[in-house]
Amino acid sequence: MSQSIKINDKSYPIDVDGEMPLLWFLRDRLELTGTKFGCGMGLCGACTVHIDGQATRSCVMPVSAAAGKTITTIEGLSENADHPLQKAWIANKVPQCGYCQAGQIMNAASFLATNKKPSSEDIDNAMQGNICRCGTYQRIKQAVVDAADEMYKEA
Amino acid sequence: MSLTNPLPSSNKNTVSNQSRRQFLKNSGIATGGLVLGISLPQKTIAGIKMGEDSTFNPNAFVHIADNGDTLLYCGRCEMGQGISTALPAAVADELDADWTRVSIKQGEGNEEKYGPQATGGSASIRTMYIPMREAGAAAKVMLVAAAAKVWGVSSEQCVADNHFVINKNNQQKLGYGELASLAADQPVPDSVTLKEKKDYKYIGKDLARHNQGDIVVGRLTYGVDTKMPGLKYAAITHCPVMGGKLKSVDKTQAMKVKGVIDVVEIPRFEVPFGSLGGVAVVADNTWTAQQALKKLKIEWDLGEHQSYDTKAYKAHLVKNVENPAQLAAERGDINKAFAEAEHVVKATYTGGHLSHSPMEPNASVVWVQKDSCEVWAATQSPGDIQKVLAQYLKREPKDIMVNVTMAGGAFGRKFKCDYVHEAAVLSQAVNAPVQLTWSREEDMRTGYYHSISAQHIEASLDKEGNVTGWLHRAAFPAIASLFNPSLDRAPANNLGDVDNHPFGIANYRSETGEAKAHTRIGWYRAVYAIFYGFAFGSAADELAHASKTDTVSLLNNIYDNNKNPEQAEQVARSKAALAMAAKKCNWDNRGALPSNQGLGIAVHFSFNSYVAMAVRVEVNGDDIKVLEVDAIVDCGQVLNTDSATAQMEGAVVMGMSLSLRTEVVFRDGAVVNSNFHNYPVLRINEMPQVNVYFMENDYKPTGLGEPGLGPFAPALANAVFAASGKRYRDLPFKPMPM
Repeated sequence: MSQSIKINDKSYPIDVDGEMPLLWFLRDRLELTGTKFGCGMGLCGACTVHIDGQATRSCVMPVSAAAGKTITTIEGLSENADHPLQKAWIANKVPQCGYCQAGQIMNAASFLATNKKPSSEDIDNAMQGNICRCGTYQRIKQAVVDAADEMYKEA
Repeated sequence: MSLTNPLPSSNKNTVSNQSRRQFLKNSGIATGGLVLGISLPQKTIAGIKMGEDSTFNPNAFVHIADNGDTLLYCGRCEMGQGISTALPAAVADELDADWTRVSIKQGEGNEEKYGPQATGGSASIRTMYIPMREAGAAAKVMLVAAAAKVWGVSSEQCVADNHFVINKNNQQKLGYGELASLAADQPVPDSVTLKEKKDYKYIGKDLARHNQGDIVVGRLTYGVDTKMPGLKYAAITHCPVMGGKLKSVDKTQAMKVKGVIDVVEIPRFEVPFGSLGGVAVVADNTWTAQQALKKLKIEWDLGEHQSYDTKAYKAHLVKNVENPAQLAAERGDINKAFAEAEHVVKATYTGGHLSHSPMEPNASVVWVQKDSCEVWAATQSPGDIQKVLAQYLKREPKDIMVNVTMAGGAFGRKFKCDYVHEAAVLSQAVNAPVQLTWSREEDMRTGYYHSISAQHIEASLDKEGNVTGWLHRAAFPAIASLFNPSLDRAPANNLGDVDNHPFGIANYRSETGEAKAHTRIGWYRAVYAIFYGFAFGSAADELAHASKTDTVSLLNNIYDNNKNPEQAEQVARSKAALAMAAKKCNWDNRGALPSNQGLGIAVHFSFNSYVAMAVRVEVNGDDIKVLEVDAIVDCGQVLNTDSATAQMEGAVVMGMSLSLRTEVVFRDGAVVNSNFHNYPVLRINEMPQVNVYFMENDYKPTGLGEPGLGPFAPALANAVFAASGKRYRDLPFKPMPM
């Protein structure tokens, strides 16, 4: 009896070697390519997904270790591309090549779920595992601040 | 002022209305309407000819469908620099199109159709801006003529506005969709009048890149993302030393891994951009291929470069530039200038190899079949893929179909298509479409590296503080070694940017020192401007210090001493950018900074653009914190302020990586670095505040992909000196112990 995994509200059987990193299960088995391969060692953050809401580097997480858990990828972050972070990314024109941005957004989403008013230092600490080689950091920082304001603005 | 461009003539840009049938046959577009192509003369980049001459090379396609949907093709490759937004926006502006009705498609590899597609040298805007606008303007003339015909009035009585043509007599309107097919029957204009600056609607505006909506939901597909039925996946390892060969490979254990299809030996393909040679595993997914690769037992014959050691090599380069070398260029009498000098300042500057390390590693899918070959790749040069695969497969370049995907960064690396050639070899071996994705480690260890370099400058000052003589010796393995491995030094023309630097120095000599290549050298964002900019900008600061003046005054003095009328524009624009940087950073008040802070400044001309940077740092012991950067850009007319600003932000980030820490180290012939833990590129926690300003002028537009890097490293080194008195002359300043 194979284990299963829930990804973006859909259940899938784990029908591969359980040692396969979640990243490659997503990309090659399910063809969910929004989650990117960058380093394969958990050093760059391009492969960041949520496991039970927690930002996780999927390139170093065996798929079997995620069995029974709830996974969210960039494709499942919002219904209509309307997560405050996605909106802030667009408003601040963050992406250049865009390759790292799914990981950046997923990492920021997990971080903002617990930090309602991040300081500049909080953002540095939370986001420094995500590399952007194009150099969009200044805009990422502003977008995170804007998204936090949007998410936690007083009614 | 309006620009009138006569069209067509044999060596001018030509516009052509393609018959719909011909276009359909060429492009597969399935709807009607107006289709317009434009051609322009062939351009060259970095001395390499980028395509074959032919009479009709349309490279800007305007396609307006009968429903008004407007499709603009971008023949240049997109890697994050924003070209696929900036160029179509220039078309749309002249077309008076409604940007919300415009969609953009990346052109496939076809230089006959799009003109030169090789994307590098910050050349796309410089070469394509006018032809793109002409295409838009020509299409608009035809739409207006069609409307005039419908209304029975003259074209002068009509005006185009936001996807409509309006009859000035009665304000009747016809949409571009309604007019498209009628416009296709109108003659292509002989000449077009381009808009005046005050009428620009998209040019020079802060326009968002067209694909960012897809990026934030993970829908944009890159080279690594191609999927298709029957796709097989591959991983590769290469000989760690350039020129080495496979001695033996024991495939037994790898072949036993479940899901492995084949283990394939790929011999070195000795054409430029061919595979360096390696062994690959093809499997039913990438991870299985990567795991099986680790089980191969490989013995390499490492060959002639197996003792390459960058520490020893750098010392060798320093020796070569601190001793007489081969003459490159000379003017005046440098010996006399030195003999009569008040001071002579001498300094040697070095830099290490760099890895491009785009976030997307090299990846492509190739499917070689008996009578076809199709490629899906992130690339900067689809034409080179066609050439290399044609040579390898013994077919015609036109028979290699190249689908150009978005590149997840490139910085020069994806100009070279070794990874595509390898996928073709694998596809042939397993008779299926194969996706080859290099690991990060392979990307770092099997690159086309930015040259390691040494430069020695000796400059003389007279009593009044004028720089009277300049000796500039450079030694670095040349990119040309890719094409001619026997080269023992950079050819004299590689010092052209030194010889033509707009400093006004009467007595000058440049020399090129011995520097044989022991690895593959390639274009890396900004190329020579990285080390030439560092040497010029640092030396100017050192000269200012020696003559007890400030760097801005010294630079102004050197520029003012340039009496060459051919460089008057370069001098004026360099000085203006410098003056703006000095103003923005509050240069004259730098004495008021806290004692552990310093301000450094530099200006550099490269790729026809001018960038001045002022960097403010705080230095505590060995710790360097970059606080703020003011970047002043003169690229003539800015096409898109958003992407131009982004290029400067990116240049600062890449500049900080290469100035402070990153360096590719070779030992025993092989790269020691392997991943981002020992190639520590900049992360968000070190990001300074970057302020970007554009010079307002009417010069024609020039590119910005690279010019931001030249002034950064010297401005940083100068700032650190100002803050601490410590002069860094070696890039990176603080290499990681390896």
